[in-house]
Amino acid sequence: MGSITLKDIRKSFGGVHVIHGVDLTIEKGELVVFVGPSGCGKSTLLRLIAGLDKPSSGAIEIDGRDVTRAGAADRGLAMVFQSYALYPHMTVRQNLSFGLENTRMPRSEIAARVADAARMLEIEELLERRPTQLSGGQRQRVAIGRAIVRDPTAFLLDEPLSNLDAELRGTMRAELSALHDRLATTMIYVTHDQVEAMTLADRIVVLRKGRVEQVDTPLNLYNRPANRFVAGFIGAPNMNFFPAVAEGGQAALPGGVQVAVAASGPVSFGIRPQHLRLAAPGEAGIPARVTLVEALGAETVLHARSDGDTDVLVVLEGQPELQRGQELALAFDVEHLHAFDAQGQRID
Amino acid sequence: MENEIAQVKATAAPEGSDRRLRRLRDRLGPLLRQVVLLPLVLISRAIDPVMRLIQAKAGTGGMIAVFLIPNMAIFGIFVIIPIILNFVYSFTGGAEILLDQRAWVGGQQYERLTDCQNYLDPLSCREDLFWRAAHNTFFFVLFQVSLMVSVSMITALILNRNMAGRGFFRAVFFFPVLLSPVVVGLIWRWILQREGLLNLIVTNFGAERVVWLNDRFYAFAAAIGVSTWAHMGFFTLILLAGLQAIPKDLYEAAEMDATPPARVFWRITLPLLGPNLAVVLVLALIRGVQIFDEAYVLTGGGPGTATMFMTQYIYEVGFASLLRNPGLAAAASILMGAVLVVLTLMQLGLSRRAEKARER
Amino acid sequence: MSTILTFLTRRRGHGGRWHWTDVASWVWLIGGTVLMFGPALWLISSSLKDPAQLAEFPPTLLPYVQQTAAVEGHDTPLPLFTVTMEDGSTRDLAQVRRIGANAQMVDPGDPDAQISVRIADRTPVRDVGIAHGNYTDPFLHFDFFVYLRNSVFVTFFATILTLFTNSMAAFALSKYRFRGRDAVLLVIVGTLMVPLSVILVPLYSVVSRVGLLDSLWGVILPTIATPTGVFLLRQYMLTIPDDLLEAARMDHASEWQIYWRIILPLTAPALAVLAIFSVVWRWNDFLWPLVVLSRRELYTLQIGLNTYAGELNVQWHYILSMTVVTMIPVVLVFVFLQRFITTGIAGAGVK
Repeated sequence: MGSITLKDIRKSFGGVHVIHGVDLTIEKGELVVFVGPSGCGKSTLLRLIAGLDKPSSGAIEIDGRDVTRAGAADRGLAMVFQSYALYPHMTVRQNLSFGLENTRMPRSEIAARVADAARMLEIEELLERRPTQLSGGQRQRVAIGRAIVRDPTAFLLDEPLSNLDAELRGTMRAELSALHDRLATTMIYVTHDQVEAMTLADRIVVLRKGRVEQVDTPLNLYNRPANRFVAGFIGAPNMNFFPAVAEGGQAALPGGVQVAVAASGPVSFGIRPQHLRLAAPGEAGIPARVTLVEALGAETVLHARSDGDTDVLVVLEGQPELQRGQELALAFDVEHLHAFDAQGQRID
Repeated sequence: MENEIAQVKATAAPEGSDRRLRRLRDRLGPLLRQVVLLPLVLISRAIDPVMRLIQAKAGTGGMIAVFLIPNMAIFGIFVIIPIILNFVYSFTGGAEILLDQRAWVGGQQYERLTDCQNYLDPLSCREDLFWRAAHNTFFFVLFQVSLMVSVSMITALILNRNMAGRGFFRAVFFFPVLLSPVVVGLIWRWILQREGLLNLIVTNFGAERVVWLNDRFYAFAAAIGVSTWAHMGFFTLILLAGLQAIPKDLYEAAEMDATPPARVFWRITLPLLGPNLAVVLVLALIRGVQIFDEAYVLTGGGPGTATMFMTQYIYEVGFASLLRNPGLAAAASILMGAVLVVLTLMQLGLSRRAEKARER
Repeated sequence: MSTILTFLTRRRGHGGRWHWTDVASWVWLIGGTVLMFGPALWLISSSLKDPAQLAEFPPTLLPYVQQTAAVEGHDTPLPLFTVTMEDGSTRDLAQVRRIGANAQMVDPGDPDAQISVRIADRTPVRDVGIAHGNYTDPFLHFDFFVYLRNSVFVTFFATILTLFTNSMAAFALSKYRFRGRDAVLLVIVGTLMVPLSVILVPLYSVVSRVGLLDSLWGVILPTIATPTGVFLLRQYMLTIPDDLLEAARMDHASEWQIYWRIILPLTAPALAVLAIFSVVWRWNDFLWPLVVLSRRELYTLQIGLNTYAGELNVQWHYILSMTVVTMIPVVLVFVFLQRFITTGIAGAGVK
């Protein structure tokens, strides 16, 4: 139980189109992450699935049942809000049981579920407190607990960790992952943080301007981005791009390195900063001049400018001795090169 | 050794009783709250299923209607309909109150009200009482508003000086605002009577006793003074809020520039308080035009018609006097309403400007 | 003690000497305090005096009661006077009766010897004390208790209904988007411009048409849909995050439950302010009850008091005591809830 299907979902607010025809199937038990820059429509899509907004056209099915016109309460979903949306005038226990009381569940059953969830999330001592008396992390747990007690078909999480500090975010991420393994319930998770997306997701949905750019497992997204946007969005620091012109199945990178490409006309090549290295003596490479060296200890981030005024980022292992202004050549392995056509689509 | 034990006991005992008290409170508190909330819980138990049914049948839109209808129905019946009827009334004649017994007379009531040889002399008018009330109200508003705004302003400025006991004094000036107009009127009638407190003070200064409210001039002045007394606290509060919204660093900057206090007032305080002051002014005008209760209880409009104001005229012509004429009262109230609408629009415009100024 | 002194003499400057503005400010504030509280205190003090004292001039600041003495041979205690005798000495005598310009008096220590004294030669022996009859009589002999009950009834139900209708309307106007919302808001703003005195005549006919004339509900109903209340509550509700409502919707709450279990508890501070306002407004209402109520047994305190003031023009001792009683709830509100009101007004700029 817990498969969700979106069919050609469109949404506009007063003439402004926010979602342009999204088709998506989420399998039961899957943890799917919606990721994209702000304004890409990922939260809107989540709210459409939740039933808090209604799509302008298209259909939403949960377990094969059409719920497009059903209200939020009738979809059997639970949501964790970015602001947590804990009822400030109720204790933690009341917050957890409010939704169950609304479904006229027997009191003993409510108490049992609340106790279970509290144990699972280790918030048993907090049950009689009010949200204002809790720390950010504790509120986060309560918000998740409120979703868990409902035993929903699927969890919807709207940037749930964005209000936590970096350290807590890491811990909660691991806990969420463990929770998903234990519950094996479908989860849809919205975030703009690609680290969260990469670490948590079974599959990632990359969105841009209301369109799905790519849906795939995290590593597939990283290794075989479907287009330039995905390639640039996934992976940190961002991928380097070099423009080139393909002719007769060949294109030249700055510095004259020739690469085979199945296209003609303007193309671009992408290579991740981690996949560039300092060329060995005599090895062909992209000539560049160092503009900034950021030594982080374990690795060194090199900012350089290649011929043709393209900025290049290089992540080098260790602590190589480099100076600003130094001229060097950057080498790479061809299998790490990603080629994109003029429209930004991947060329294999 | 014994001493130590005694000490331990001494410190433990209050703690123990404290804990017992707290436990008692923890047990009693929820119980009490439940007793208080029980009626509300029962009401909600009864209403809940009904509302769920409505929501299921009529949707969220139906619920919006459910939420709006009680308020808007009362609004419609007791405000909107009377506003419309008022115009109808003003074109009818006769002494009957109920509309279906009244005869259509066209614009006669308005003609009667405005039939005047010299608008500055009520006696030259056909409906001289109306013009007397209009004159009285005009002069009342003129003097009362200027007195009240200046007194409120001075008080607010003083309260804004970070003096000791500011909260207390702010409350002091607010006290009469809460009193009912009848109580205000009676208190001052008692003070202003022949054997009253004011005459005690006056005779102490060697003057003759005066029956204040029997004198046209003093009665009018009393109406002004008493209504100022009763309402200035409210306006002081608004002005004080405005003063406190002025950023402190402006005054500090002025102090660094060695600006003299008077200049600080004219060049910093007043311009920044301007929008608030304007709102207070218009609000005071609107209230002043409607003056009735406390003046009515204080003087009953007398001596003669010296303190008869517009609302009293409408009330007496509409209901009380022997020569009852609701149509005339309606026409008069529409003329007064027109003045109020103009003043209110001014106020809305000014407060919007004040809001914008605050956002900036 | 010295800390109190430094606290009291602290001025806006940083130490230093008294500036004339400091002096002027204190004079203004202390004078204001006397002027604001004085009349009410004078009223209370006067309400404790007996009729004879009220007619006196110059009036005394405190209420006095004439001393009496139990004298043998007389069933009731006799009033005591200080009498100036013909030889210029003074004695305290009890008055038996008054005949014309003379009074028959006895010495309480020597009850058999009666002395005739000119009334000009005696002055009452008095002590600070109160004439409690002023307070008990109105309840016993007038309908004062009925008026009190009517006022409590009107204030209570008008406030409860105001809170309900206004909060429901404010909820709909703050948390839903629907066509005509702005029009509804505009209508409500518009009615702010139309005070009662302007629609007195037609409102009376409407109330009489719906059969509420001479009924306390006729006083209550027209007052409960206050635009001020709707605005105050709406303004507050706008600050409640919509996320909470959506969370509740996900939690299977109906729209009514959202109003009842989420919005109302969270609006409690604003509701409290409106409740205080409403109590003061309805308790103090004068013109409208004056128009609607013509049967005496339905009068509210304010109307009853005004009527008494007209009828009992000479019996100020009753009027004053009833005025004090009428003032009590408002004084209680002032003492305990003043802070809420002042912040409420400063925040919303309304009364």
